Amino acid sequence: MTGAELVLKVLQQHGIKHIFGYPGGAIMPIYDALYDSDVQHFLCRHEQGAAFSAIGYARSTGTVGVCMATSGPGATNLVTGLADAMMDSVPVVAITGQVFSSLIGTDAFQEMDVLGMSLSITKHSFLVQSLDELADVLHQAFELAQSGRPGPVLVDIPKDIQIGSVDFEPYPIAQREFPTPSQDDIAQARDMIGAAQKPLFYVGGGVGAADAINEMQDLLEYTQIPAISTLKALGTVPTEYPYNLGFVGMHGNQAANLAVQECDLLICTGARFDDRVTGKLDTFAPHAKVIHLDIDPAEISKLRKADVSILANFKKLLPELKVAPHTPEWLARASGLIAEYAWRYDYPGEQIYAPRLLNQLSKTLPHDHVVSCDVGQHQMWVAQHMLFTSPRNHLSSGGAGTMGFGLPVAIGAQVARPDSVSVVVSGDGSFMMNVQELGTIKRFNLPVKIVLLDNQRLGMVKQWQELFFEERYSETNLSDNPDFVTLAKAFDIPALSIDKADQVDNALQTMINSDGPFLLHVQIDDKENVWPLVPPGKANDDMLEGNNT
Amino acid sequence: MTHTINLTAQSRPEVMERVLRVVRHRGFALNSVEMNNCTTSNTLSIKLTVSGERPISNLENQLKKLYDVSQLELCQTQGMNESAVAMNA
Repeated sequence: MTGAELVLKVLQQHGIKHIFGYPGGAIMPIYDALYDSDVQHFLCRHEQGAAFSAIGYARSTGTVGVCMATSGPGATNLVTGLADAMMDSVPVVAITGQVFSSLIGTDAFQEMDVLGMSLSITKHSFLVQSLDELADVLHQAFELAQSGRPGPVLVDIPKDIQIGSVDFEPYPIAQREFPTPSQDDIAQARDMIGAAQKPLFYVGGGVGAADAINEMQDLLEYTQIPAISTLKALGTVPTEYPYNLGFVGMHGNQAANLAVQECDLLICTGARFDDRVTGKLDTFAPHAKVIHLDIDPAEISKLRKADVSILANFKKLLPELKVAPHTPEWLARASGLIAEYAWRYDYPGEQIYAPRLLNQLSKTLPHDHVVSCDVGQHQMWVAQHMLFTSPRNHLSSGGAGTMGFGLPVAIGAQVARPDSVSVVVSGDGSFMMNVQELGTIKRFNLPVKIVLLDNQRLGMVKQWQELFFEERYSETNLSDNPDFVTLAKAFDIPALSIDKADQVDNALQTMINSDGPFLLHVQIDDKENVWPLVPPGKANDDMLEGNNT
Repeated sequence: MTHTINLTAQSRPEVMERVLRVVRHRGFALNSVEMNNCTTSNTLSIKLTVSGERPISNLENQLKKLYDVSQLELCQTQGMNESAVAMNA
């Protein structure tokens, strides 16, 4: 068989049924092999869309997402998506075509140093040097993407290797290996949990990445320790858990931010002390000892010194930490914070209040749904006001904060989970960054539901201009947006626009009950901001409050 | 502070780029580098001298994460006792 056919064989061996991509000259042999393959290809309308769809596929299922592109600009268009996957530890394999090996380094047409570009935005990358190593490199790519801390892996394949002849040999899929934790460390952690007066779980995306959501929930149920969640962890701690303090950080719930400042033991579980979580680092959890549980040794004591650290497979580790401390005063304090800082939706006036709409949407969606969102104010409102039963149902660009993320990610999630309702919540700024993917939605008639919150502004930047730049609104006015309903209809996607609060219920029902894709355009007040807000450089208990807390 | 790191890596054309990129990105300046190619084991021996104010353990951990790096040893730290390299608590 050819090297190109081998690529498809290896994909199938790793259970890959769907891939996202865009063809071009240097990857034509692989696309030719794809023509006769059982692997289903989803043609996106931009390579960045393909990369994000692979992310949506991976994050909504916990499996590997695969994207493909040609050399040069095809590969460069993948870069932002791969960087996003790197920041959020998403297992993605990207396959790029490269010019003939003999032309590499000659500035040939569409020849770029893709390997060089990939170094900082992938977990690892390969430029295949010979046909003999092609299969091995591809298998390594899949193993690496999923092992340890997951991440994106890029395989750049010159065209001569794609068209060369090679024998296919079955390859045993390796079992994943995990570090073996020290029993002394586990005993010490148990002692610290048992002795703590104000223990707090700080739950991160690593729990979901380790497929240890059930184990985390069992641990919470047993220990009854209050918990805060990062953006990527939302959905891990059950909404009905009585000591779920919610989302922590810059736009987190005040209950979460105050609790973390008061706790005496912080059990960091698959999180990384990101600056959007900690605020001013040396003021974060100032009274707490730290137990840091992770799979990545580089995260231990990177930003906050751990008193005890354990590297392990969470599925096995978390059950070993079942110690129930006796902390009635702390539990009463947590309950009090939760009650005191519950979100309020009693917004006056006729205009649509986005937080309330999102909370209504959350309660209206069927149980099996997945919400993707873009980046900006609406992203924070989704995190604050929508309720999730799994981190696989909330796909948000965390580390990279990439505008344009939502629409293609929702496509990937819909392909991966055809029976789920895939919803994207976007803003008018973000939506225009990958709006071409409406074409992909229509081409495959994917029933993605789009809620477009339109304040005709780059809202989050405008909010910061208002608060920190003396209301100097530099380049954040988008009042020349297109007519989004007409735009959707140009792609033959039904759409509806609303601007009054009393239209919301019917509009949400219309959208959810529609058979195919649907765009709900929601006009909101550009003066609405996201509250609370921990100003940059401030401690988490130094929050600015607004009108929705 | 100045640190000397010895590492062994699989011999791939881009390995040195990977190592130097991590050194730069993680906040260290490269003072000297020495590389030897062992053709029999298909490995590279790389000796780096770097300087920087951040905890050297952060750089060590990031270099160890590189897929091609099989061994790493921090040999020497000058300018302050290694134990005094404080984390941000």
